[in-house]
Amino acid sequence: MLDDVTKDKPVLTLKDLSIEFPTPAGVVQAVKTLSLDIHKGRRVGFIGESGSGKTTTALAVMQMLAEPGRISGGTIDLGRTNILELSEEEMRRARLSRVAYIPQGAMNSLNPVMRVQPQMWDGIIAHEGHLDRAELKRRSDAALASVGLPLHTAELYPHELSGGMKQRVCIAMGIILDPELIIADEPTSALDVVTQRQVMQTLKAIQTQIGSGLMLIGHDMGLMAQTVDELAVLKDGELVEHGTVQQILQAPAHPYTKDLISSVPLVGGESFLNPDARADAPKRASSEPLLRFENVRKDYGSVTALHPMSFTLQGDTPQIISIVGQSGSGKSTMGSIMLGFNPPSQGRVLFEGQDVAGMNAAQSLDFRKNVQAVFQDPYACFNPFYRVNHALKFPYKQFGLATSEAATQRAMEEACDAVGLDPDLVLSRYPHQLSGGQRQRLIVARALMLSPKLLIADEPVSMVDASLRASILSNIYDLKDKYGISILYITHDLATAYHVSDYVMVLFKGHVVEAGPPKEVIGAPQHPYTKLLIDSIPWPDLDRSWGDGRTDWDPAKLEAKAARAEAVYRGTVPGFDLIKEATFG
Amino acid sequence: MGRIPRDYLVNRLVTLVLTVLIAATIIWIIPRLSPVDPAEIALGRMAAGAGSVANSEEILAQLRANMGIDQPLIVQYLKYISGALVFDFGLSTAAFPTPVSTLILNALPWTMGLMILSLLITFFIGNLLGALMVWDRSPKLVKVAIPAAMVFTSIPPILSGLLLMWIFAAKLQWFPLTGAYSIFVEPGWTWEFVKSVLHHGFLPALSIVVVTFGFWALGMRGLMIGVQGEDYVKLAEAKGLRPRYILYRYMIRNAILPQITAFALKIGLLIAGQVLVERIFAYNGMGKLLYDAILNQDFPVIQGVSYVIILITALSVFLVDLLYPFIDPRIRHEANA
Repeated sequence: MLDDVTKDKPVLTLKDLSIEFPTPAGVVQAVKTLSLDIHKGRRVGFIGESGSGKTTTALAVMQMLAEPGRISGGTIDLGRTNILELSEEEMRRARLSRVAYIPQGAMNSLNPVMRVQPQMWDGIIAHEGHLDRAELKRRSDAALASVGLPLHTAELYPHELSGGMKQRVCIAMGIILDPELIIADEPTSALDVVTQRQVMQTLKAIQTQIGSGLMLIGHDMGLMAQTVDELAVLKDGELVEHGTVQQILQAPAHPYTKDLISSVPLVGGESFLNPDARADAPKRASSEPLLRFENVRKDYGSVTALHPMSFTLQGDTPQIISIVGQSGSGKSTMGSIMLGFNPPSQGRVLFEGQDVAGMNAAQSLDFRKNVQAVFQDPYACFNPFYRVNHALKFPYKQFGLATSEAATQRAMEEACDAVGLDPDLVLSRYPHQLSGGQRQRLIVARALMLSPKLLIADEPVSMVDASLRASILSNIYDLKDKYGISILYITHDLATAYHVSDYVMVLFKGHVVEAGPPKEVIGAPQHPYTKLLIDSIPWPDLDRSWGDGRTDWDPAKLEAKAARAEAVYRGTVPGFDLIKEATFG
Repeated sequence: MGRIPRDYLVNRLVTLVLTVLIAATIIWIIPRLSPVDPAEIALGRMAAGAGSVANSEEILAQLRANMGIDQPLIVQYLKYISGALVFDFGLSTAAFPTPVSTLILNALPWTMGLMILSLLITFFIGNLLGALMVWDRSPKLVKVAIPAAMVFTSIPPILSGLLLMWIFAAKLQWFPLTGAYSIFVEPGWTWEFVKSVLHHGFLPALSIVVVTFGFWALGMRGLMIGVQGEDYVKLAEAKGLRPRYILYRYMIRNAILPQITAFALKIGLLIAGQVLVERIFAYNGMGKLLYDAILNQDFPVIQGVSYVIILITALSVFLVDLLYPFIDPRIRHEANA
């Protein structure tokens, strides 16, 4: 299958490429004798977890390896040019004009003090000298148009663009000189599913149009299945499997590839949760409902982030309520209102009958202990100067739960055990010595130590590696049954919401558009917006189309349709009452 | 952006006036906490001159009346504040009866000239060197030489001033020892005079530059390290831009933003910091005026000089507030900021 495209010289030839990082502790082999070709017009996916060497390979092709990394063996040919023999100036000229790089963090990839247009022009000028303004303008406008951006984008500053728009500007910059090879390093990892699909469609279309090779780096098997022709699976710097995407998805040969495929949670697929971990949870002793929203509404200036919403969570039988939606849907606003960080513009939030906004110091302390949070970024949630045990101990003592040092130590160890961490290994370490997954578990452990009644988890797994997501989510899931904690799970990931939750609310522009048990809402969506969200998920399944060739995938039109549609509420779960919005739109 | 909203301007102006008013009150209170009576000092000076003074009680009372310190505090305060608004700080008690405003007006241009010159040079050199310390294409020599030059930062300006004076004025005789201009030229807008002023100002300015450039260089170094790791700098390299262009337009342009705020704050601090430099070089600026006033317990001059320092600081912060959105498009003029 690979043979029919190998007649021309490949745009990229990697031959026995080895990259090493000499460190004081010894030489780390980041990439080991990697050989691979990328042909004109072909899309090749590099998949693997963080540390597998995929980004290092890409940076080696750009000759932009971070110190002290160096190429210790092999060759890199760009067309007929051996780039390892190029001078620094020749390599600079090759960048962008022959090989373009589309970065991972599109959020910060544009110079914040320059408008979009000069940032596109400086790339042209650096390679072709000073052209006249009209020519520069013509070319930057053509590039913006080709990625579907309105031309006035050229006059905007980066902070005035959304994440999806920034990423498309980066694509427009990348293709402005018609490169032979485009390297896209997780170009959509910071975007929600709907925007991700749009951006990937744009990238595919433009790459097909200019006929360049594409090296797509990622960790999401679903995204790869829907985008690339060939897959290269990397593990610990080694190419463990390479073939067409059909071959690999249908008959993965390497066990690691099988793991990657099965780690993608599927709607309707087998649950990744452990159903045996059932135990009788302690009953909550209060007659008041745990959490109650009374006509809560939030405005930011003239924009309404959350339209009046009312619900009651009894909390007698713990439930997991999922709140799903795109960025900007108001789901994180809901979370911060529940935590009392952000007072509602209208209405009341009651926790066990107490208005969160009007608590005295003692009530507030009690509230803080009983409502715990797990946030998205496990790197920012620890003070880097303290060891882990201090971070765990501190709130425990602060809330007066510690009776003795020994008891505190026991509580820490229990909490670590509950989230699957070895207390001897992690407690005496500093946060930077732990992986993202370990840190996120510790945050769950820290919350658990305070025996809260409500846990608010805002995108708890979106920043950890795919293979860890399932296990961290099952840690959180276990809290419900083992400890009787009710959980509000805020996410953009419908597949995980499908598995963990008892009830799902789909948020769109501050409105609940669809709500009910996950089997119905996500398994058989009725509202057009829910359908759009589910269609946007890239499935690791070649038969399940991602919307190519369909005419109705334009999200703007679908969103307009969604805004007109009637909200769909169906089914209830005991202990949770959502009151339907009287008016919509 | 583009123009400054009126609400914002009014808000900033009110803040400016309040800042100056509160600070003016504080500088009025502080000297009054001192147990020393300026009338007694003046009397002491007379006694030292004449050997002895008759009717000392009467003279003391007369002096107090002249200085206005015999009146109730609240009256003194109101007089002071209403005077301060029109830059009338009364008469100097040490150089009695010269108006304080005259003393300040004579000293201010010298200090502003020396200060702005040296501050601009330091800001430019310090930030550039700080940036070069981080830039991975700087010559090796630069990376070694700059940290070594930082040693000067730890020298107090009084010592560096004396050292420079000894080398360049006393030994080499390239520059004059003291003074703001040669006594042999007539002050005025003549080339001779300007040359003399620059010639005299060079060493005091250099002694300030040598000891303060490290502040900017170290600050800039920290900011550049932050910017160096930014994704937009990596993407700039991936776009094949020329390294020098990346340094100026992508790295320094972003790293320098906080330094501009620091620059505004430094303007006021520098007058105070210049006290000793002006003193050694016998440079007739605000620093020397303040130094002499403190020695003589000359309340009106201390208040006047402090007031001008505060006013200049507040004005420069006000200006930076207005200008900032034009240099950093992410910041916007907000009325309730």
